[in-house]
Amino acid sequence: MKTASASDVKRINNLVPKIGVVKEILDETPDVKTFRISTPEGERPFTPMPGQLGMYSLPAVGEAMFSVTNYGDDYIDMSIKKYNDGVLTSVLHAMEEGQEVGIRGPYGNGFPIDQFKGKDIVFVAGGIGLAPVRSLILYCMRNREDFGKLTIIYGGRSKDDLCFKEDLFENWPKVPNTEVHVTIDRPQEGWDGHVGFVPDFVKEIAPNAQIAAVCGPPILIKLTLPILSQMGLPDEDIITTLELRMKCGIGKCGRCNIGSCYVCLDGPVFSQAQLNNMPKEY
Amino acid sequence: MKTIEKAKLDSLFAQLAQNYSLLVPVDYNGLTQFAPYSQVQEGVSQLYLDGNVTVSPKTAYLPQSEAMYKFRAQGKKLAIEEMAGLDKQQVLFGVRHCDTKAIQCLDKVFLDEKFEDPQYKNKREQNIVFSLACNNPKATCFCESMGLDRAHAEASVADVQVYDFGDSFGFEAISDKGKACLDKLTGLGETASKLPDQKPQTLKFDVAGLPEKLKDMFEDPIWDEYSFKCLNCGTCSYICPTCHCFDINNKIRGEVGVKLRTWDSCMFNEYTLMAGGHQPRAGKKERVRNRFLHKLQYFNEKHDMSLCVGCGRCVAKCPVNVDITKFIRQVIG
Ligand SMILES: Cc1cc2nc3c(=O)[nH]c(=O)nc-3n(C[C@H](O)[C@H](O)[C@H](O)COP(=O)(O)OP(=O)(O)OC[C@H]3O[C@@H](n4cnc5c(N)ncnc54)[C@H](O)[C@@H]3O)c2cc1C
Ligand code: SF4
Ligand code: SF4
Ligand code: FES
Repeated sequence: MKTASASDVKRINNLVPKIGVVKEILDETPDVKTFRISTPEGERPFTPMPGQLGMYSLPAVGEAMFSVTNYGDDYIDMSIKKYNDGVLTSVLHAMEEGQEVGIRGPYGNGFPIDQFKGKDIVFVAGGIGLAPVRSLILYCMRNREDFGKLTIIYGGRSKDDLCFKEDLFENWPKVPNTEVHVTIDRPQEGWDGHVGFVPDFVKEIAPNAQIAAVCGPPILIKLTLPILSQMGLPDEDIITTLELRMKCGIGKCGRCNIGSCYVCLDGPVFSQAQLNNMPKEY
Repeated sequence: MKTIEKAKLDSLFAQLAQNYSLLVPVDYNGLTQFAPYSQVQEGVSQLYLDGNVTVSPKTAYLPQSEAMYKFRAQGKKLAIEEMAGLDKQQVLFGVRHCDTKAIQCLDKVFLDEKFEDPQYKNKREQNIVFSLACNNPKATCFCESMGLDRAHAEASVADVQVYDFGDSFGFEAISDKGKACLDKLTGLGETASKLPDQKPQTLKFDVAGLPEKLKDMFEDPIWDEYSFKCLNCGTCSYICPTCHCFDINNKIRGEVGVKLRTWDSCMFNEYTLMAGGHQPRAGKKERVRNRFLHKLQYFNEKHDMSLCVGCGRCVAKCPVNVDITKFIRQVIG
């Protein structure tokens, strides 16, 4: 059996994955790993914009959507949280480097970069929710002069549950005009940082930002959005991402709709202003 | 207009079957659907032209189960092979106008600029549609109310227009593909093109302003009323000619497998259930609402056309009489 490539199929079937190779696996937390994926030829599988998505599969097991949290010249990174009896994620976590996987994308709208340009930005994330927000943070840092002050507020259940620790504690604080604030839910031995939930922490810090990107578990999003409104941010500049069950990723299988929007096509990034006009069905 | 006597229909089918794969409407053990003409020749099923079929001809564009690719997963190695499309043209004889309109709806989904679906497109190109105008609508038919033309099939889908003159059928080419097909046929007669009389539809209403009205009705108590009886059985979506939702799953034997897409339904719990157990459309109210609004509002907002073509199948076949026409009439008031 041969590998599908652009040359031997006239038309691209977007539902058929390309082959990717897991080049490196990084442990982030006890239940989150980052998978670095290239093509068998050593190239970047595709070029995503910040906030865009990829479908990642082991065809014999399953296929699921993940944010592309970062990319380099010859790879993309996806950070994946494992559900203990999650059909796909538990098998992905048991993989070794060198494993070939299915990969397709990029999907979704991504963050509205132009809208962020020239503004002071607050990024708010909890848990694995930092994965999509990180793609935007890294973009802003790579194009530092296009953006104003960057304030990053992030929380995890415990210090072990914090993702991307090297970025949080080493890389990002060194970037000019950037603040990083990290919190954990409960006090813990060996942690002298902030303790408490993310929404309260946002209130406490009261960042003086002109636009916000928020991502995390539904409860975090729900409690944080009103706080950002109270701080005077207009609904157009409160940006968040949604997650719904997805199968195709390209607006055909039907299931990820909210009203006439498909989250896989028209999202996953929405402003509060857009959400105000959509049915509350997510 | 070219014609053939109904008594000679077999010879027409025989000619078509020589040059093309041929699908005709049949009654197979009481279920009406499109099937290969060979089934009729072998006596497995009977030709059925009395009314529209229960299982819509969307099966010839989006089969109930369709292989997308084969794969071999062997240790760390993965190989993927795409499926070949139809290499032979296929005639669908007797597709009703509502179902040609339904294919135009599916085009919006599967032939969109950004993510065109090559498996659908292949069938769209290979299928030659003979579309039959209905002289005797059923009590559940309401295509006219949904803006359809009972004298002319949807021209972007149908290749040959067929009229029923009682003792004979008349044919008029619509597309080049249809003309080429008709030109190959021998033994056809010729007649002046006066169209047959069509009995009026009894189910008639005005849908003007419906999508706009529904926009403000998301929280309306009407949804409790219309979902109350629903069993979430999915019948309505399986037989609907425009319902296109699919699931993606596997058939695996050892190291090799086939990835399939199979019809799915927004009536099912699994359809939207997320990892972690969150369910955005928790019950039948949310699901009936989604199905009706997709048909009558959401699709209009995205594509400026209704996703209900008025075929009446769901009205006729819902086991508990959930009736989209009653709903429309109540909303319009
Ligand atoms: C737009 C989008 C972006 C995403 N980005 C990311 C990302 O960057 N990183 C990431 O890790 N994930 C992301 N996800 C989520 C990811 O797609 C899912 O985690 C994944 O589909 C799970 O697949 P699975 O096959 O392992 O789980 P399944 O087997 O489908 O999932 C279910 C599992 O959830 C658990 N579960 C079930 N019920 C409950 C319950 N009541 N309470 C608690 N747990 C329960 C069980 O372990 C169960 O087996 C994203 C999803 C979307 C739609
Ligand atoms: S056919 Fe009727 S009972 Fe079955 S899911 Fe549809 S509306 Fe509900
Ligand atoms: S919703 Fe019902 S009447 Fe409308 S096209 Fe579908 S099956 Fe036919
Ligand atoms: S995942 Fe199929 S339509 Fe969005």
